[in-house]
Amino acid sequence: MLKITNLKKGYGSKQILNGVELHVKKGEILGFVGSNGAGKTTTLNSITGILEPDEGTITINGIIKSGSTKYKKQFFFIPDTIHVFKNISGFDWIRFVMKLYDNDQTERMKHFITQFDMEEAMYKPMGTYSYGMLHKMMLIVGFTINPPIIIMDEPLNGLDPKSVLTFKKAIKLYIEEGGTVFFSTHLLDIAEKICNTVAILKDGKIILHEEIDKVVGENTLETIFMEKQNV
Amino acid sequence: MTPLYILTKKEYVQMFREFKIIWLPLVFMFLGATQPVVTYYLPSILAALGGNQGITIDPSMTQQDGAQVIAATLGSQFDQLGIMIIVISMMGIIQSDKANGMLDFILTRPVKVGAYIGGKLLSNFSFIAISVMLGYFVSYVYVNFLFNNIPFLEMILAIVFYLIWVLFILCFTFMISTIFNGQGVIALISIVCLLIFKIFSGLHPIIDLLNPAGMSQHAMMVLITGSIDSHLYGNMFITLVWITLTVTFSHYWISEKKYHKN
Repeated sequence: MLKITNLKKGYGSKQILNGVELHVKKGEILGFVGSNGAGKTTTLNSITGILEPDEGTITINGIIKSGSTKYKKQFFFIPDTIHVFKNISGFDWIRFVMKLYDNDQTERMKHFITQFDMEEAMYKPMGTYSYGMLHKMMLIVGFTINPPIIIMDEPLNGLDPKSVLTFKKAIKLYIEEGGTVFFSTHLLDIAEKICNTVAILKDGKIILHEEIDKVVGENTLETIFMEKQNV
Repeated sequence: MTPLYILTKKEYVQMFREFKIIWLPLVFMFLGATQPVVTYYLPSILAALGGNQGITIDPSMTQQDGAQVIAATLGSQFDQLGIMIIVISMMGIIQSDKANGMLDFILTRPVKVGAYIGGKLLSNFSFIAISVMLGYFVSYVYVNFLFNNIPFLEMILAIVFYLIWVLFILCFTFMISTIFNGQGVIALISIVCLLIFKIFSGLHPIIDLLNPAGMSQHAMMVLITGSIDSHLYGNMFITLVWITLTVTFSHYWISEKKYHKN
């Protein structure tokens, strides 16, 4: 599904990514974890096209990364900080983003709006939304569009417990429908519960990519992560 | 629906919500009315303000021709205050999208850079063109009412030529907004450069040929003389080349992510 080969990126003399190699298969819910500064956001930005890597190739569904709409339609990216037009309603915004993906699944959209308890907020300006509500809006659009892979950067930030539960159900449904999730997070316990595979990034390299059950065994992901960090 | 159409529509919605769709046409209509009204009533205004303190109006002074007055609307009002107003209203055209992350958000969706730029330019140019045309039409009505009739064809030709200069103003401001990050810097560079173009127009035929502000000069000439200058088509072609270059450079800057501070 997502294949990253020898990905390198540096800023000036500082090398952030030192040859990232990662092959995410269809149906994976990958927990992408690493310490601050390990290069998680740089990797995500390289995949989504926000940054141009210095070296390496990225393909999704066999399509090589480029500025083409064909490549961009393979994924839906939920960034950590959600940027919206503050003076338009949530409903108008969702329709705007869905149109960019040439998607008009109104019934599916309404289903997720209800699931995430956003019916009342939909007609209010997005400038009045909380951080969590903005994340919910992105999740609604992502699950409605149903792309081959959803790439998320800390998607649970600001979400209330009920929404986290809805998120888990929505991910399960999405995977059953043939989707793949690339889930960057600092929350190791959540990653352990939601994800079926984990990739640990350290010093700009993938040091582990394995099924969670095989990695964790009798331990917790937190313990394994700390061991890998040599702390 | 194509991304170009969706993004153009989005720009219109934003202009509507920011009330730009109201105030910009009103400002240009005010500027359009100012030149003929002030010119016509200047003797009365001076008499009222100056009284008997040394200001006298030559009673034998011939009344200005309507064509000269409407040409002055373009050359004085629109080319000075008008430029500043267009630049100030457009200085954040890309800068604000860069600053609030909207540029990255849109470009990680199935949108090509060309569609993003096209949506911005199409919506903003059509809107500015309508505002300028409204101002020009107000000026035309006042000139016809207070002075004399201006041939319709010349009036239309003049505004068409002038709008090419306006398109350059927009594309130039767009490019500066793509490169720089501070609104003050963008406004300053854009206004100073555009006014320099304007100051240099009419100085030398070769400069006029290369200068996009020459289109403004041609618009005024067609009104005053009623004929098209032989250098018009050359100047028009070169102005369109300048416009293409500014848009191409902006496209390159955005595509190559040069706007990211590494």
